[in-house]
Amino acid sequence: MEQLLVPALCKIDKIIEETPDVLTYRLIFKDPEMFGKFKWLPGQFVEFSLLGRGECTFCISSSVTRPGYFDCSIKKAGVVTADIHTMLDEGMDVGIRGPYGNWFPVDDIKGKNLLFVGGGIGLAPLRSLIQYCIDNRNDYKDFTILYGARTSKDLCYKEEIEEWKNNPTLKVILTIDKPEETWKENVGVVPKILEEVVKPAIENTKVITCGPPIMIKYTLLSLDKLGFAPKDVITTLEMKMQCGLGKCGRCNIGSTYVCKDGPVFTYEQLKALPDEF
Amino acid sequence: MNFSVFETDKNGLQKFYEETIAKNETYAPVEKFGKYDYKKVSALPECDPDSPISLTMSVKPLFFPRSSKIMKYEENREGTIITETDEDPLAGKRVILGVKHCDARGLQVLDRVYKWDYIDADYQKRRENSVIISTRCNKADVNCFCTSLDYDVENSDAHDIRIINGLNEKIYIQAVTEKGEDLLKGVPGLQFSVCSSEVAGEESAKHFKAFDSSFRLKMNYKEVNEKLQNSFDSPEFDPASKNCISCNTCAFICPTCHCFKITDEKIKDTGIRYKSYDSCNNGYFTLMAGGHNPRPVKYRRWRQRAMHKFVYYKERFGVNLCVGCGHCAISCPVNISIFDVVNQVV
Repeated sequence: MEQLLVPALCKIDKIIEETPDVLTYRLIFKDPEMFGKFKWLPGQFVEFSLLGRGECTFCISSSVTRPGYFDCSIKKAGVVTADIHTMLDEGMDVGIRGPYGNWFPVDDIKGKNLLFVGGGIGLAPLRSLIQYCIDNRNDYKDFTILYGARTSKDLCYKEEIEEWKNNPTLKVILTIDKPEETWKENVGVVPKILEEVVKPAIENTKVITCGPPIMIKYTLLSLDKLGFAPKDVITTLEMKMQCGLGKCGRCNIGSTYVCKDGPVFTYEQLKALPDEF
Repeated sequence: MNFSVFETDKNGLQKFYEETIAKNETYAPVEKFGKYDYKKVSALPECDPDSPISLTMSVKPLFFPRSSKIMKYEENREGTIITETDEDPLAGKRVILGVKHCDARGLQVLDRVYKWDYIDADYQKRRENSVIISTRCNKADVNCFCTSLDYDVENSDAHDIRIINGLNEKIYIQAVTEKGEDLLKGVPGLQFSVCSSEVAGEESAKHFKAFDSSFRLKMNYKEVNEKLQNSFDSPEFDPASKNCISCNTCAFICPTCHCFKITDEKIKDTGIRYKSYDSCNNGYFTLMAGGHNPRPVKYRRWRQRAMHKFVYYKERFGVNLCVGCGHCAISCPVNISIFDVVNQVV
């Protein structure tokens, strides 16, 4: 087991400031051989070590279709993430284990209309899938991205969102919780905009959603109201993890290991789990 | 395949132990401050293979150490270098004496999670290289309930060699696996008489009957499994766990608990990363960045503990994550027993 827990070293190539409390770390393996070994699919996560402080679980927020590097977007939320923000600089080394967990069903959703519903930092795992789907654009039908944040400052990946907006094959809808002077797009919480503005068609559509727990809760209710079947709604779950290998027992919800059987679940699967999160 | 069975007496058994210790790297219960822990021994008088179950720590740390080094690393101007860990000190061939039946079963239960998906190679190697000699207790402790669980204590196959103290003052040494058979054959000069497995079986059954009747605690595990499954919202978890002080002792001494955490210790430019025991009774166990905690209160953590042992693990791996050794109850500072908790809830 101990060998499986030894991380590979990565160099921080670039730190991109997304919002005041979210930084994206672009990582490159120091050992060139790792590039061939490290293959991931959208939705998978890594164990990110700030050496000397410990390990944290983060999803990979870029797609394997853009090789040579991978991104982890980290929000300052707890003790270790605060240290990551303050202690790490470009050029420094971090430890990476992974990729772990299951992934968004990229093959099952082929030929479907895709509706992405993201909130705040919840866009990070979706971004990996969005990039993957854009790079395999012909496999998928209509694309709709609904993304919301508390304020316009809290929107992540602003430059990339501009690119998406300029892409005629994508439909991008942005929203913030409260009105702002220079803001020209929608105002209102994500579930409200989903029901009133997006009004998605249910036929042949898969919904992929991620965001803060409260947003997920009401988005799932809205999707229910709009008539989506629970099996067509896919989300990724947040749970404390440590080993990522299905051994340390931390991420158990019932007999499910979130790190192995998840973190990607359909709403149907979530409903069957004990109500613990 | 039929394995050897030998009949002998107290002196013969002593001799067998002595020979085994002389010829192999041997671990056995060694007394310190009135408690027994498994240590490497070089002579029989150092240890007591018949140590009482209530005072003997689990053999689990020989397979899953309380704390083990994952790696060492150093930082210099060019960045970080990982200097790999030392050799696994527990990987060598060894014999373990005096393991209790429940404890050996604990390893069998752990095998299932360690063989699932990612294989824990260290654990696997330690298992393969160990010969476990197990003695069936003569009498149950007040907190024992192994015979009430989902394994056959009488014909347990969790160990390699079984030793039965017959009621007729004779002692039966029986190989259960090939590893055990090889060890028995490799100990020369023993004045054992070969015994038919029928005779040994009869004596074993008599011994087991007497042993079984000495239990204070009895339960029907099937009923517990079934009822607990539907008890997720039971209000009884709260009073049952009221006294718990979340000290985690029960998990640390449990033969089947296997949760761990990964921690770093760094002094100046050198750091060591450890893997050490953790417990779901710990309030920080599931605390996430940002303050969200799915199990912020004691009863939820106890619910996880009880359900994991008797429902979730069974669902996933087919066996109960409890072997009825009673260690948690013995060591608990406030006298909570997993037996009492599940029986209060169902």
